Formats: sequence, C-alpha cells, structure tokens
Amino acid sequence: MNRLKKYFQAAIAALLFSACTAQAYESEDGSFTAHGYIENATYQRFHGVGLSKIRNTGQVEVSKDFGAVGLFSSFSFNGTLRGTYDAVYDVNDDEFGDNAGAPISFTSGGVPAGVLGPGAPAVPAGITTPWGSSIVTAGNPGLPGGGGFGFNVANNPNEGLALLGSRLHGDDGGVLLGVPVRPCDVDPRGCIDGYLDFDSDELKSPEFNDRADFIREAYFSGTIPLKSSELDISFGRQQVVWGRTDLFRVLDVINPVDFSRNNIYDELEDIRIPMGILTIENRWGAIGAFDDLNLQFLWKWEKFRPNKLGQGGTPNSILDAGSFFRAMNNCWENGCTVSNFAGGGAQTDFPAHSIGIRQAVLPDWKLKETDVGLKLEGIYKSVGFSLNALYYTSQLPSLRGGVPAVNPFLGVGVPFPDGQTGGEEIPRDYLIAFDIEFPRILLLGGSADFYVDSLKTAFRTEVVYTNGEEFADTTNPRLFSRSPVVRYVFGADRPTFIPFLNKNRAFLFSAQLFGQHILNHHLEDAPLGKIGMPDWKDNWIGTLLVKGFYKNDQLSPQVIMAYDVRAQAAAIAPSIDWLINDNWRLQFGANIKLGTGARSFDDIVLLMFSHHSQEQELLAQVLDWVDMSH
Amino acid sequence: MKINTLLLISLMILVFTNGAKADYTEADVDNSFYPYKNSTPEFTGYEPGLTINQKNVDQFKDILDPAMYKLIKDGATKMDTMATDSFDLHPNYVKATKNAINNPPTLKEDGTIANYIAGRPFPSEPDASDSSAGTKLIWNYQYGYNWGDNAAIYPFYWGYRNYKTGKLERTLKFNFHFLNWAHRVNQDPVPEITPNPSKLFRSIYVQVLEPFDLANTQLLIHRYQNDLKRDDAWLYLGFQRRVRRLATGQVTDSFLGSELMIEDFEGYNGRVSDYNWKYLETKNIMLPFYRHNELPNLATNIKDKDGYQFVDFGGQGGCFPKIKWQLRKSYIIEGTAKDSGHPLSKRLMYLDAQTFTIPRQVMYDRKGDIWKTFIIGQANPLYHLPKNKNSGVSIDDSFMALDVQAGHCTTGQFKGQVDPKLNPTSKFTVQNLRKSGK
Repeated sequence: MNRLKKYFQAAIAALLFSACTAQAYESEDGSFTAHGYIENATYQRFHGVGLSKIRNTGQVEVSKDFGAVGLFSSFSFNGTLRGTYDAVYDVNDDEFGDNAGAPISFTSGGVPAGVLGPGAPAVPAGITTPWGSSIVTAGNPGLPGGGGFGFNVANNPNEGLALLGSRLHGDDGGVLLGVPVRPCDVDPRGCIDGYLDFDSDELKSPEFNDRADFIREAYFSGTIPLKSSELDISFGRQQVVWGRTDLFRVLDVINPVDFSRNNIYDELEDIRIPMGILTIENRWGAIGAFDDLNLQFLWKWEKFRPNKLGQGGTPNSILDAGSFFRAMNNCWENGCTVSNFAGGGAQTDFPAHSIGIRQAVLPDWKLKETDVGLKLEGIYKSVGFSLNALYYTSQLPSLRGGVPAVNPFLGVGVPFPDGQTGGEEIPRDYLIAFDIEFPRILLLGGSADFYVDSLKTAFRTEVVYTNGEEFADTTNPRLFSRSPVVRYVFGADRPTFIPFLNKNRAFLFSAQLFGQHILNHHLEDAPLGKIGMPDWKDNWIGTLLVKGFYKNDQLSPQVIMAYDVRAQAAAIAPSIDWLINDNWRLQFGANIKLGTGARSFDDIVLLMFSHHSQEQELLAQVLDWVDMSH
Repeated sequence: MKINTLLLISLMILVFTNGAKADYTEADVDNSFYPYKNSTPEFTGYEPGLTINQKNVDQFKDILDPAMYKLIKDGATKMDTMATDSFDLHPNYVKATKNAINNPPTLKEDGTIANYIAGRPFPSEPDASDSSAGTKLIWNYQYGYNWGDNAAIYPFYWGYRNYKTGKLERTLKFNFHFLNWAHRVNQDPVPEITPNPSKLFRSIYVQVLEPFDLANTQLLIHRYQNDLKRDDAWLYLGFQRRVRRLATGQVTDSFLGSELMIEDFEGYNGRVSDYNWKYLETKNIMLPFYRHNELPNLATNIKDKDGYQFVDFGGQGGCFPKIKWQLRKSYIIEGTAKDSGHPLSKRLMYLDAQTFTIPRQVMYDRKGDIWKTFIIGQANPLYHLPKNKNSGVSIDDSFMALDVQAGHCTTGQFKGQVDPKLNPTSKFTVQNLRKSGK
C-alpha cells in the first residue's frame, strides 16, 4: 500500500486538448498540390503547474511534379513549411516565462561535530539557508576552504530559480542544485552557448531560428531508369526514416529529434529535425530470389545538429536533462549552492570553475565528420528485411570529465605540498567538471517484419549494435567510458474483436518490447558503495497500444501504456480523437505517469569529510541525471 | 517398372485433382462470353427504359434481388433501366479460354486450380448437382478479366454518408492501381511478368491523396498464385512515414472507417480458399450495367482536368448511384467464411454471367443478419473514356456499400483507366510505398 502511495505521489498528470483544421489546393493539371493546416494544442498540467502548452501551429506542405526532366523519368519537389507560436510563455509566465522561478533555499540534513574539520561544531538538521548563503561558504570560520568556497550573489542572485528535479521527486535528504528557469534573454545563467541557449522568441516560435527551421523540408527527388533497375536520387532538407518499429528509435536515428516540442508524445514525423541529406537508392524490384531489393547510400551533409532536449525551465525538458545541464553550467560559470554536500548534510557554496559543465563542444562541419550510411532492404519469401550501417555523430550528449578546474578545498593562492596552488585551474581526476561532447558512433543493424497466420499477428523487429557510445562511469578518472551496446525491439500487431465494446470493428493491439544491453558494463562494490556505470547493464521497456474505432473511424479512443522494468515506472496516455469532418479534428487526452521518480545511485551518507569522497557523493547524484539523459 | 510408376503417378494426380476436368467446348466458351448474342432476357411487363419504383416494384419482384427489392419498396431509391448490353471482354481473354479447351484447368480437392494458364477457367454452365460448382464460379471471378492485365482508378472518390440524414461526413480521394503478374493475356509480357520469384498472381496499390489526416496513407497487397498462401499486405502511414505489415485481421476490418473491408475491394478481394462456396441458382435479374457517357445526370461537383464527369449519387442519404440497370443473366452463389472469427458469416453474390464481375452482393454479420448491401456499377468500355474503348474490360464505375444496421453508407466515384503506363511494376513494391510517401 505504501509502495502504491509512493507511486501515485510521483504521478504527474496532464490533460491535452488539441484542435486542428486543414485546407488543400490542387492545380488544374494536378501537378502542384498544397495542403495546409492550423492546430492548437493546449495542455494543462496538474500539481500546481497549470497550463504547460498553448501551442499554435501552422503548416503548409507543397509538392510539384515536373514529370520527365532530362535523365529523370520523373522529377519532383516537396516542401514543408511550419511556424509555431506557443503562448504558454506569455500566459503562464510565472511558471515558464519571464517571471518563472523564485528565490530558493536549502535545508540541512545535519552533520555531527568534528566532521567538517577538526573542532568544527555540529550542524543540526533542519537549518534552512538561502541560495548563496550556505553553511559552508566564504569566510565561515572553522570550516574548510580557507576562502575557496562561496560565490558572488550579486552576479548569481537568488531569484528566478527552482530546485532541480523538484517536479519529479522530493529532496529525500540528498544532494540538490538550483536551476535558473527563465528564458536566456531574461536570465542568461546556465545557458550553454550554441546548445541550450534559447531566448523568449525562440521558445515561443522555435522554427524561426538561425537554422531556418521553418523550412522543415525542401528537397528534390528524381528517378533515373537503368537497364534492369531504377536509380532514385533525393537531395535537400528531408526526413529519412529507417526501421519498422514505433516510438523507439533504434534504427531511426538519421534525423535528430526535437523532444522540446512535446517530449516523445507527438508523432515522430512532427518532431524529427529535418536535415540536409542526399540519398541514392538503386531499386531492382524483383530480382533473383528476392521479391524486392534495394540498396541505399545516404550522406547527411548538413552541419551537425543534436537532439533538442528542452531547456531548463521549459515545459518539455525530457528527463529534465536540460535543467541539469543548465544548473551545472551555472555552477561552472557563476558558482552555485549544493545542499547536503559538506559532511553529507550541510549546504555548500561552490565557487565558479570548480564543478559544473563548462561548455558544449558542437562539432564544426568537416567532410570526414558528416554522417554516411548504407541500407540494403528487400523482401525474401514474404519476410521484409533490411541491413543497415551508419557512421554518425551521436545526437545525444556525452559528459566528459577532466576539465581544468579549481579545488575549493585549497585556499586561493596557498601553495600545497603536491605542487598545486589554491585557485589554480588544472584537470582533476574524478572531478564533476564536464564538457558536453558528441562522440562518433558506428551503427550496424537490421530489421525484419513478417506475418504469422496461425497467430493472426504481424511481427516486426529491429536489432542494432553500436560502437562508440559513451556512458557515465565513476571508476574512470574522466567519469565516462565507451562501450558497445546492443539495442533491440520486438513488436506485434494484432487486430482483435471485442464484441461487447464494438461488434463490427476490431481493436488494434500493438505491443513492443525494447531492450538495451551494455556489453562492457561494469559496476563494482567499493568501501563507500557501488562504483562504475549507473546505467543498467540490461533494461527493458514495454509498450502497449489499444486503439478502437467508432462512427466510421471519426471517433477513435486509444490508450498507450509504457512500463520501464528497471525504473518500475509507467506512463498511461488515454486519449480520444474526434474527426469532426475533413477539415476539423479535436483530440482530448491525458498523460499519467506512475513511479517513484528519479533513481538514486550510490546514495551514501559520508561520515568522513575529504574532498574526494564528497565529490564522489555529489558525483553519484549528478550521474543520476547524466544517466537519464541517455 | 517405369510404366507402373507412371501409372501410379497418373492415378495419384487423378485422385488429388478430383478428376474435375472442365470438359468444355468452343460452344460453351461462346455461350459464356456472348450470352446475349441471339437474345436478351425478358420478363413479363418489363420494358427496358422504364423506372422501377416504390409503386410498381412488386410487379418486378422476381427480377430483383431481395435486398434491392426492399430498398425500392421502402422508397429509398428507384431503378432506371435500359436495354441489355453485351459487355464483350477482350478477345485475347476469350482466346486464352479457347486455347485451354484441349488441356483445361482442373479443380483440385483442396479447392485450388491445376493446369491454369489464362482465360476463364470454367466456362461451362454450372451444374447444380456439382458440389464444386460454386467454387468454380468464384474462380471464374478470381481469374476474371476484371481490370484486365492492369488498370488504375485514377482518381477514386469515396464519400462517407449518413443514410438517415444525407450528411456527407467525409470525402476521401484515392488512386487505385491493379496489376496481374500472372495469367496475363493482353499486354506484354504474357502470360507472366518475370522475374516473379514468389509467384505473385496480382497486386493492388492504393494511395490516399485526401483528406489531410489520411493523405499519404498507402496500401499494397500481394496475392500469390498459390491460393492457399496468405496474402501479404503492407500499409504506409503518412504520419509515421513508416511501412507496417498488415495482419490479416486488418484485411477483414473496416478500411479507413468506410463500409468496405480490404476483402471487399472489387466485390471480393480474398482468397478463394477463405470461404466455402455454394452455387444457388442461375437467374435473370436487374444488375447495374450502363453506358457512362450516356447517363443523363453525371456529377458536377468534382472538377477533373480532362473534363471527365463522375457518376452522381442520390436517393435516400445520397447513397445510391444515379445509373441504369439492365436485366441480365446472373449466377447466384453463397460464400461462407471458413474462419469463425471472420466478421462476416456469409456473402450472397450475384455474379454477372457474361463478365463475372460482382455487381450486387449482400453481406451477413456473424449472427446471420443482413449487415451490408453492395452495388458496383459496371460501365460499358465503349461508352467511357476513349482510352478504355478497346480495353475489353467491364469498367467498375460506381459503388455503394450500405450498412443497413448502422444506417451509414460509403459511395464510390471512379475514373477507371485501362492504361499500362499508370501501372509499372515498380509501383507495386514495398519500397515504392516508402518512396511515394515522403
């Protein structure tokens, strides 16, 4: 019962209201078509958040068929323009806009006498101090640091802040950070140049940026007939989709994804970030023993773009990674308060350039660092298959330690026996000072689909092996290590009649199981707890979609459920879709999350006060967030 | 020893093929393809050109199928009639039938056909004492010249209508494409396109053009020459930009919310082996056959770039095509679904004896009650698009599927084009779904 209660305590529920209207145009000769729609999506989030999205979208899709042109037997242009205005930043600005956040304070968990240093008094539990005025800070007599702790509150004031992760879980006496939550033009703290540094306008209307994202797609495609095959060439900004499964991007990794639009809940078509890509595909059709065979070469020539994870302080910051990054970047740039750090129970003010995230290193355009891929796809004896290879830059960030940083335990300007001088910025093993990097990855994989008549079920699968991915690893001095990974998805679709609900129309049951296996995973016991990779060696997520249809499909209720085995967390998203007519659509839904919140890793209570062990503890907490970003 | 082995093999073939040789003559073929050569059906009091309506319908009850009789009796529609036309199928299809006289196809014990190359497999008159007569008739449909070697419905408008209020709820615009991989008689290569490694018989490719929520949805169906092998079907969903393999259940479920299942396409789009077929009787009844270009009331609300006018609809709920009906010879068969989980218990089909199309059909739900009634209007190719003139295809030109239980109908307006250029083999591949869906 307590467990159930804990689950529901962590539940976050949201209601969705979405309305859409569409229009179309076709030229007299039929060679040019234009479709457009406008959509309003409004979301209400509970637990005191209020409106979390009032998104208004206008989209126009055009296509022009030029017919035969030169070598091409057919040649066409496709384009998609999209503009969005999300009014939530104006309407609910106390939560997500210019006036978001508030002064924050931290409460001590308590530290016994002498733990913070010889003769240091005990720190009672329950002492509350504001941001920047911690128990361990500049000038506190009898405490370590000798002036190395503390930061300038004038530059890093106690306003516009939120406790990191406070929407997901309580502090539970653990480590806490503060995160600035206002748009970057209002409060630039923690905004990471070129990565997560969006101002108010970019948050409200994300398509109108320096990458011209309002041009979602613009590409030419043509077919050159060959003697025994066809050559299809496609060039321009586009989405290229690999794989056969829903929701999980095992093979579908060519385009990065904008999770800030609506987390994973919008269709991938709407949240993939189209990129400049060239594809050349030879289509043999039926050949030899194959009913269909095709070989595709792919070159993503546009400058690298990572996934958009959502900035700290915005409604959709997937796994709150963007908030963690912002909090940590603020720590690096301006210093920050960390709760329950010193002695495991005293608030501590870290100076700038001691811990945090220094920068995001976004790769410059170099030919050798562009993405290339090959796909062989076909049908053999009724089994659809593909073999895929992709060499690409990870769209997810990796945190690499080893960044030169100061050690606040050493007094500024004080020489020490190991040759260091206090206040000196040098690389330090195991220090939680990171750069965000995007490693190169080799992906090899494949997919298949087939139908089993005796089960009346269609199956599909994707399996990939990657080499080059990086994972948090507390045993490595730079706090990350590489490991090959195997990911797989098995899915099944089965239409099934439920006569008492609908005697004339089947319900679609679609289930998937996603798994991840880290081949070089390691986790070991150390005197102070587990060390190694916080990520699981093996984990699985199951999903189930049940969708019904009424009134000639104009009314369609559905529920999507997902369950993370290791996290013991679930999401349930019931919704109902009402197609009023060809031009109007109304959707109403909810999204309920159940679970115990973020997982803790190595949540040890330290009785010794040495700088290394403290860093280990904070590191352990930090790695939870890093882990989640994967 | 060799002779004994041969004898044994011969005996085995005889056993397994049921010994059901077609045993037909050239006269049988002519009778099958040209039933109105010497005379047209007549019925007392019936004069082509009259209108059968609520007032006089009882007089013509014997030449109406019961479902149409009831609809007219209820005042839901009326039936404009015309003289019986001969819908001559392509001479190459007739020739292929004659070519097989000396080595005709046979029906095997499992209901599949042996020794079939092309043409109408069983052109003889059905024999009521032959338990396989119904199966032979549905084979004549399955291997019929329904859309020739290939054709396209380009475009194809479906309307979703409330039968009670007449409200047009949705309009879908499609392109449909059909291709016979085997048993071809007219367009090179004949009789089979090669390579054809999985021995496909036929493919259907469907592309949704409108409305916005369904645009880019595509469907591909592969039917195999081996009738016991399950069809393969794939659906491309525009909003996912992904191909999904369809489970069979989706083939026997409402297609995009319409009154039709994929299995209903063209009248029947399943395997012969999915049903048990029973021949009921041969009868002259009113069937929807007409000359498109001579219809007095064609639709004016759809603008076509070639000036083509689609069939218009009227009657109760706007569900009934404004077409003409002819008194024609029909074979009535009943198909009972083998799968107990099938949403239909049976289909009652009125096959047109000359064309072996299915212009009238009634479907029954699992309880055995009438669920849907289905009209597919057939247009004479001589009075349609110029390109169809010598096609020898009975052109599917209009349809109405009425769910009598829900009070809802789906209507169809065709622009059927028998044009090989619209149906290259490359259009019927899974990869084409991905290419076209971008």
